[in-house]
Amino acid sequence: MAQDHREQRNGAERLPLRVNGDDVEVEAAPMSVLADVLRDELGLTGTKLGCRAGDCGSCTVLVDGVAITSCLMPVAQAAGRDVTTIEGLETDGELHPVQQAFSDHNASQCGYCIPGFIVAAAETVANGEVLDREQVVQSLSGNLCRCTGYESIVDAIVDACGHGTDREVAS
Amino acid sequence: MTGIAPRWIGQGIAQTDMRDKLTGAADYVGDLTVPRMLHAAIVRSEVAHGIIRSIDTSRAERVPGVRAVLTGADTPSIPFGPYVPDWRILAEDKVRYIGDEIAAIAATSPEAAREAAALIEVDIEPLPAVFDPFEALAPDTPPIWDERPDNVANAFAIDRGDLEAGWAAADLVVEGEFTTNRIYHGYLEPIGVLAEAHPNGRYTLTVPTHIPYKARITYASALGIPLDHIRMVVPPIGGSFGAKYEMLEPLIVACLSRAAGAPVRLVYDREEDAAIARPRPPFHFQHRIGVTAEGRFVARETEVTGIAGARVFWSPAILATAVHRVDSLYHFGSMQGSGRLAYTNEPPTTAMRGFGNAEALFGIEQLIDEIAERLDHDPIELRRRNAAKAGERTMHGWLISSSELPACLDRARELSGYPQRRALVEGTRGRTGIRRGMGMAIAHHVSGYKPILKDFDGSSAIVRLGGDGRVSLFVGEPDLGQGQVTILSQIVAEGLGCAPNDVQVQGVDSAMSPDAVGTLASRATTMAGMAAVEATRAARERLTAFIASGWQVDASELEWDGPKVTHAVSGRSSTLADAAHDYQVVHCGLPLLGEGVHRPDTEDLDAEKYGNPSVAYPFAAHVAEVEVDCDTGQARVIGYWAVHDSGTILNPSTARSQVLGAIAQGVGWSLMEDVDIVDGAVRNPSFLDYRIPGAGDMPARTVVEFVEGYEPNGPHGAKSLAEAAINPTIAAVANAIHDATGVRPRHVPIAPERLWEALQEDAS
Ligand code: FES
Ligand code: FES
Repeated sequence: MAQDHREQRNGAERLPLRVNGDDVEVEAAPMSVLADVLRDELGLTGTKLGCRAGDCGSCTVLVDGVAITSCLMPVAQAAGRDVTTIEGLETDGELHPVQQAFSDHNASQCGYCIPGFIVAAAETVANGEVLDREQVVQSLSGNLCRCTGYESIVDAIVDACGHGTDREVAS
Repeated sequence: MTGIAPRWIGQGIAQTDMRDKLTGAADYVGDLTVPRMLHAAIVRSEVAHGIIRSIDTSRAERVPGVRAVLTGADTPSIPFGPYVPDWRILAEDKVRYIGDEIAAIAATSPEAAREAAALIEVDIEPLPAVFDPFEALAPDTPPIWDERPDNVANAFAIDRGDLEAGWAAADLVVEGEFTTNRIYHGYLEPIGVLAEAHPNGRYTLTVPTHIPYKARITYASALGIPLDHIRMVVPPIGGSFGAKYEMLEPLIVACLSRAAGAPVRLVYDREEDAAIARPRPPFHFQHRIGVTAEGRFVARETEVTGIAGARVFWSPAILATAVHRVDSLYHFGSMQGSGRLAYTNEPPTTAMRGFGNAEALFGIEQLIDEIAERLDHDPIELRRRNAAKAGERTMHGWLISSSELPACLDRARELSGYPQRRALVEGTRGRTGIRRGMGMAIAHHVSGYKPILKDFDGSSAIVRLGGDGRVSLFVGEPDLGQGQVTILSQIVAEGLGCAPNDVQVQGVDSAMSPDAVGTLASRATTMAGMAAVEATRAARERLTAFIASGWQVDASELEWDGPKVTHAVSGRSSTLADAAHDYQVVHCGLPLLGEGVHRPDTEDLDAEKYGNPSVAYPFAAHVAEVEVDCDTGQARVIGYWAVHDSGTILNPSTARSQVLGAIAQGVGWSLMEDVDIVDGAVRNPSFLDYRIPGAGDMPARTVVEFVEGYEPNGPHGAKSLAEAAINPTIAAVANAIHDATGVRPRHVPIAPERLWEALQEDAS
């Protein structure tokens, strides 16, 4: 769809990426951002774009297990590294413990911000951190939600952290 | 179905459509791609007011990938608009605000579209611009629209009762000026549209609007085509709060698609979204209330001046609300109110949750505290005494069919410890150091509003029971994230005996959903809910009759238990799914349909604006606790208690989430948020500069409780919630700040600099 414009981009090159466990090759200008490549080239539209400026956290993905805002990361920086998006958290149709906790706590309204929150919390859980409410609130300083008032989101993450040790955690 | 304890009503189940939102599978409009899809960009005025001398599109047209370039000359030139025909698809002769749409481009990539947009040269001869509503309305100010030489975009006036006698009976008169500001809705999903112009002259518009049928009326009139030539499809909506009612963008993109002969998608980036934000209209209020020594309100006067911006979106209805809705929260004895909306050379303003009611209450609820203080009355008792009660008709004819407000006041008092805690801080009020205070405010709202659509109020619904036993519900009221789909699933499940997760509430698509007023004015749960109750009942009755005739028994002998039906006499039984299958076979493929029509007995307003426009009124009592650092003027909300009467709570979990979200928006509004417009330009169009509350800005302790009454006009006794929950917030915070410091906040947001200055002034 973006064919003829892409062709005229100088320096479009083929980059190897590892996304949700799959090795893929994408064609992209090195300075295009990871979020666009994930969404437009790989069809992984679960990564949302709320601001494209690093202010909202909707586009959070894990790169080598670290939560980053993919709207700011040049795709070249992700080359050869392990990228996990919201689509990669489920295993065999089973929700990731963080997703399950969000479901248990009804921690979503419109849902647009939610993939970003879940991926950010997945990092916390994968690191085995057990956080209390206050620490979870602090850990969420990069994510915005306009609908829920955060309480159910914080509850869900506290819950997911508490279970982090005894649940199988995908990363 | 009667006399049995409900299975699903009142259950705090999680949103039934949540899984897609948790896994990234929910496709919002910006996630949709279709073959041959092009991308749009809009060229906007950088001048607040001016005459378009020329537009040169030639360089833009040569950009590789560009498929269509449109200006006002290429789009239908039919004046249109939801209230006032001051909309154009693209500007024709003049631009009237910074951001006014001048030209539009469709190209094979967003980058190409933006590149071409930057190459369009527009020559504009500047005209004097006006940015202040009072200046705009002054006699010699040049008009923004020739049709309105006085720059009055809309006016509203109402009076009731014997005002002179009211003032004569008053022992105390309190009055004050209050101003409320522009608030950006700040939904996380920026505005987007996918439009497809079909060769046969028809259009499919995929738009995250929550009033698709009302919007379609506007769009069809703009394009000069019949209504049914536009198919409206509503994808999941990533938040709106009023902003995505009736947008202009779908028309621009539709015209681009027509010109390019391919589908076109537009998705704003945050900066564009926020810079042309059609925010909450700012208002200036002059309020006056008269009260007897015993604490009975006897007279009220209000004068409201607001800003429509350069075009009229939904501001007239918001103005009317700001002028007179409070007369159905309290009895004021007599009243006179007037309001005017000014055209200014600024982005148009529109609806946001609370819709003028929260704005009016900001001043009124503060003046009521002032009355309590000056008469030495208990502020809670003063409110209780003057509040409209269940069974009463208020002065404008509004019928309060249910109210648990008195019980809400009691619970709010108990939960927050308001009187005791205020007594504790009594005498500690001050203007230095760290001060704490508590404030209360109450509110109400509507559950629908009859005048929205000329043709009808109410709602309709279709239950479809497929041959595979699957249940679908079709309504015309979209879910905008608040959990509408879940509530409706619960209602259908309750009536059919299946589980909510077995019910698929279909997204609104005008090709198959019933026509509807839409999801606005806090009406969807009440109206669509009632229609869903009816449709489910009809489906159940039709199925029961079908089974009875097949078994040659009397329908009254069939008993349903969940999804199982048994003939009491013979013991013969079947299931919902089997019976639905048989029905479809017998009817040559036709699924079993249940149709529900909810025709509420709301009233048209007469020439004096008297009549009951809404089926039900929800109530709320909120208490906020704040901490003010007087050295910086920084206030923080540290505790919050919200007690609500929304009748039966159909789902405590989604209801609680609504209230918490509203409180967050109220905290942002009262202390943080302000669209900063200087000379017509939005100066803070980003989440960095326009801060909405993050998790860390919320009070550590928020208590939400519901006092469940029964609303006779709502589904299973329920009435609305979403807007009643934001309405008291800014007043409660303001009253708490006054409690802490003695400073009466006159303006929201109560920003640190402003509060600090007021602390200095009042200190002298
Ligand atoms: S879209 Fe990346 S932080 Fe907002
Ligand atoms: S659920 Fe809507 S923005 Fe978070």
